[in-house]
Amino acid sequence: MSIFTSMNTTSSALTAQRLRMDVISSNMANVDSTRATVNENGEWEPYRRKSVVMEPKEAGFSTFLNTAINRRGNHSIGQGVKVSKIQEDENTPFKMVYDPEHPDANADGYVQLPNVDPLREMVDLISATRSYEANVTVFNANKSMLMKSLEIGK
Amino acid sequence: MAIHSINSINPGLLSPSLSKKQITPSDATENFSQILSKTIDEVNRAQIQSDRMTEKLVRGENVDLHQVMIASQKASITLQTTMEVRNKVVEAYQEIMRMPM
Repeated sequence: MSIFTSMNTTSSALTAQRLRMDVISSNMANVDSTRATVNENGEWEPYRRKSVVMEPKEAGFSTFLNTAINRRGNHSIGQGVKVSKIQEDENTPFKMVYDPEHPDANADGYVQLPNVDPLREMVDLISATRSYEANVTVFNANKSMLMKSLEIGK
Repeated sequence: MAIHSINSINPGLLSPSLSKKQITPSDATENFSQILSKTIDEVNRAQIQSDRMTEKLVRGENVDLHQVMIASQKASITLQTTMEVRNKVVEAYQEIMRMPM
């Protein structure tokens, strides 16, 4: 039903922000994980910070067909957002902390810790929460608009 | 080379609306009842979808809370739209019944 187009768009955005929140939780939880993967030398590598990559959702086949044969179609509005992939942060170097007692310390006594910055994660967390709230506001505005249209002619 | 007259084209072919048959009251009633039952089916489907989502959430399946809420809101909006249409129909019926004879 076309009256729910906007609601479906909002729904996709809420799902995307939830996933972003899940990824941030994972980053925060693994702030001290030194054994995430094994590299080619058989040594443990710490956890790498993950982030989500979002892209606009492609319209369906019928939309493209309608546009092609010049019929009325919602080709100008998108279908929402989707998470295309969850990317690992390869650019930021691991933190090196001197802790000779640690089981994963190297010969010099340094331990490689994940490249997760709690401060940055907190900022991302606030951003995800606010985006989620903004989309809920859009949903509520949309609903009140529909409810108002039911009052036409009363 | 002979050029055929344009007049030979059947006018009913070009404008099918002219040859459309008259709608009788019984046809109109049937059409209306079809539309009504289709709409009620749609409302019912929205309600069932909402129920299913709620059940999934309660059972602890992998479903997002906001999707449950959105499904229930969609069901509520479709139901209220139907109620509004029903009110209009009942209003029209009562208006006709109040006709002085």
